[in-house]
Amino acid sequence: MRRHHTTTLRSLAMAAGTFALLGAAGARAASPAASADALGFTDGIWRSSNLLGDLWGLRPWLSAHGMTFDAQETSEILGNVSGGTRKGFAYDGLTQMTLQLDTERAFGWQGGLFNVSALQIHGDNLSSRNLGTLQTASGIEADRSTRLWELWYQQKLLDEDRLDIRVGQQSIDQEFMVSQNAGYFVNTMFGWPMLPSADMPDGGPAYPLSALGLRVRAKPADAITVLAGVYNGSPTNGPQDTDSSGTSFGLHNGQLLIAELQYAYPSPGTMISPDQGEPLSRLYKLGAWYNTQSFADQRLDTLGLSLADPAGSGMPRRHHGDYALYAVADQMLWRDQADPDHNVNVFARAMGTPLSDRNLIDFSLNVGLTVHEPFPLRDGDTLGLGLGLAHVSSQAAALDANTAAFTNSVTPTRHSETFIELTYQYEVTPWLTLQPDAQYVFNPGAGIANPSDPGHTVKNELVLGLRTTILF
Amino acid sequence: MIRTTPLLLSLLMAGSAAAAEPKGLLETTRHHVTLTSTITDDGDLNPYAIAVVPASVGALHEGDVLVDNFNNISNLQGTGTSIIAYTPATKQTRLFARLPQRLPQCPGGVGLTTAMTVLKSGWVIVGSTPSTDGTTRTRGDGCLLVFDANGRLATTWTGPAINDPWGNIASLDHGDSATLFISMAGFDIAGPEVQDPATGLPVTHHKATVLRLSLRIPLGQPPEIVSQTVVGDGFSARADKDVFLIGPTGLALGADGTLYVSDALENRIAAIADAATRTASAGTGRIVTQGRLLQRPLALAGTPAGHLLAINGRNGQVVEIDPASGQQLYAQWIDANQAQQPPGNGDLFGIALRPDGKAFYYVEDEMNFLMEARP
Repeated sequence: MRRHHTTTLRSLAMAAGTFALLGAAGARAASPAASADALGFTDGIWRSSNLLGDLWGLRPWLSAHGMTFDAQETSEILGNVSGGTRKGFAYDGLTQMTLQLDTERAFGWQGGLFNVSALQIHGDNLSSRNLGTLQTASGIEADRSTRLWELWYQQKLLDEDRLDIRVGQQSIDQEFMVSQNAGYFVNTMFGWPMLPSADMPDGGPAYPLSALGLRVRAKPADAITVLAGVYNGSPTNGPQDTDSSGTSFGLHNGQLLIAELQYAYPSPGTMISPDQGEPLSRLYKLGAWYNTQSFADQRLDTLGLSLADPAGSGMPRRHHGDYALYAVADQMLWRDQADPDHNVNVFARAMGTPLSDRNLIDFSLNVGLTVHEPFPLRDGDTLGLGLGLAHVSSQAAALDANTAAFTNSVTPTRHSETFIELTYQYEVTPWLTLQPDAQYVFNPGAGIANPSDPGHTVKNELVLGLRTTILF
Repeated sequence: MIRTTPLLLSLLMAGSAAAAEPKGLLETTRHHVTLTSTITDDGDLNPYAIAVVPASVGALHEGDVLVDNFNNISNLQGTGTSIIAYTPATKQTRLFARLPQRLPQCPGGVGLTTAMTVLKSGWVIVGSTPSTDGTTRTRGDGCLLVFDANGRLATTWTGPAINDPWGNIASLDHGDSATLFISMAGFDIAGPEVQDPATGLPVTHHKATVLRLSLRIPLGQPPEIVSQTVVGDGFSARADKDVFLIGPTGLALGADGTLYVSDALENRIAAIADAATRTASAGTGRIVTQGRLLQRPLALAGTPAGHLLAINGRNGQVVEIDPASGQQLYAQWIDANQAQQPPGNGDLFGIALRPDGKAFYYVEDEMNFLMEARP
């Protein structure tokens, strides 16, 4: 049995304790493996999936009742050594706990899965403090809180995974718009993309938020999967801190409707002829979302004047509804015939909306390349190079120009922000991953004024960091 | 696991096959159904062996599917101690047997492997390749464990020729006697940290064997070993930091008495002639086929047409081979999970034919599922 490559979004960690653990790793070779396990989890610690093994009997007890428990700490130090509104490093971290219950194993009900998860978000937010970027540097950055994340029940309705439903509090970034290969990166936008982060109410029901809803997944053909969901239109009733525990369970904020069509190759049952060799895998997705809520105009007020116009009402014009279309592609490019673990993949994800009047971002793009087993015998490692682009809508940019004209001030007009990221996931043990990371941001904030340097935009930034993930 | 009866039937049937008929089994088994989770109530993981019960005895019902686990709840390889039983008619899963990880009569303890078979008399024979830290660094020589039809341990077999029974068992079962073929992959295997400077990989040894056990099965008594014969030796095996041990894994017996062996490290299928009767080792035998669609072949099963199904360890495919011609007919991607790259990489291990020969069972060992591929 092998392990999965770690692609879980916002996974993986580092903290002061990590260095102590690394020190222990260095001393490991000299210690006999079958030593007395005084702490209850040290036997086999270098091969165990979890640092704490069976959690002193808790995991077997849960398993006897059909349950599994996972706890994971993702910690990182990130800092900008150039550019930004100021320079410096910041620590931030995320503790994530998930409990799942398999109803068949628990009490004989086939095809049911109950899931509850919670988040404890700690540390500082480098992106808001130093960077001023749209595409925030880390997928785990969020307001500090201890909150419920997801609470749902999933039921399979047909064999061969042909149909299942999921109902409850859901974070839709776990299933929609997902690029498998983008999940190796640190920047937020490789997880939940820029466009919904900026344009959906409160950024949409994605980490660290979630919304009540119903999702249906159908597989009409082996290669085709259809995902469709309807959720509360806003994950909160306002900014995150108005629902700091994640338990508002709102249902009266309009609806978010989303659907995605997926094509996978291979699928179970795909036949391969001897002359064909092994084909390269791929996964393509097309999707769209529509939100029924009311959205503020980016430029005009209720009188049809610019929001920057002193003669105007200052109240943005409202529009009913918002939508965007997207496409995601993951494609294996190359695989070493002698060592299939060594392979190269590319991905691309684009999303756009023609509604520039009500959206700050009208187009976002992620592309990248990942290399598994980049060095011989490092089959748990992944090297990634990615790029993110966020384009500011014409109406939002026009407001910038209006503001400059009406206030007679130096107000830059925003257009786009681009970053590149180079990252390396180094698997120390199955439960410990280190991830050095470098990001370079061009035109931070799409060209916003630097509050620390009036009259100038925020300069390009080089962000360096190290992330660690520990599975307990 | 394979038995001769379906193969004999299949050879007879093959002669009358019409041209329009499928050229093999795989093109007819395009539906893949999850039958059950294989996780036991103490959390054992990583299902390896699959064996189908040939006759109802004790707690075993004809057609039940037994699956063992190689890992414990911490996912340490060589520490799994449990066997589940799945009944297709009722879709119910239950624990069939469980042992303590430390078992004095089994050198090194218990880590249940792909070596498992169920005899008509209800005796279940399972291999143990144990570890305490999840690697071969703490490997013991292991043993063969004999359970009665109610899941109680009846006896264990050890000896100089029994060293980490590893691959799926091929058998000839006559009721009151039986012949088993089991690969032994542990000889001289050290921990994965002992590397060959030339390759940077753990050292490869060429000492793995295929052992034939002739059994006498007294009525109401556990089977007894009458004789042991090494019918194949010199197979490659080495430790591995991810998959624990790589060595000869799949065994399947043809109707003419040829034993087929999946030689995982050499990426080939070998044939040992007259395996049931030969008195000396055939070495590594004759090469039937090598490379092409094979990607580290693991467990083997025989089809009604006399073909072999070889599970690939390094992608999610099963390969169908005509051993008579050595031709690889085609492969089917039975595990297309793109969480692994290539899809299904490292997720497959055991395989067994459904008794009617029209479908087969397999495990997804990372997902901990027993699956069925059916028409």
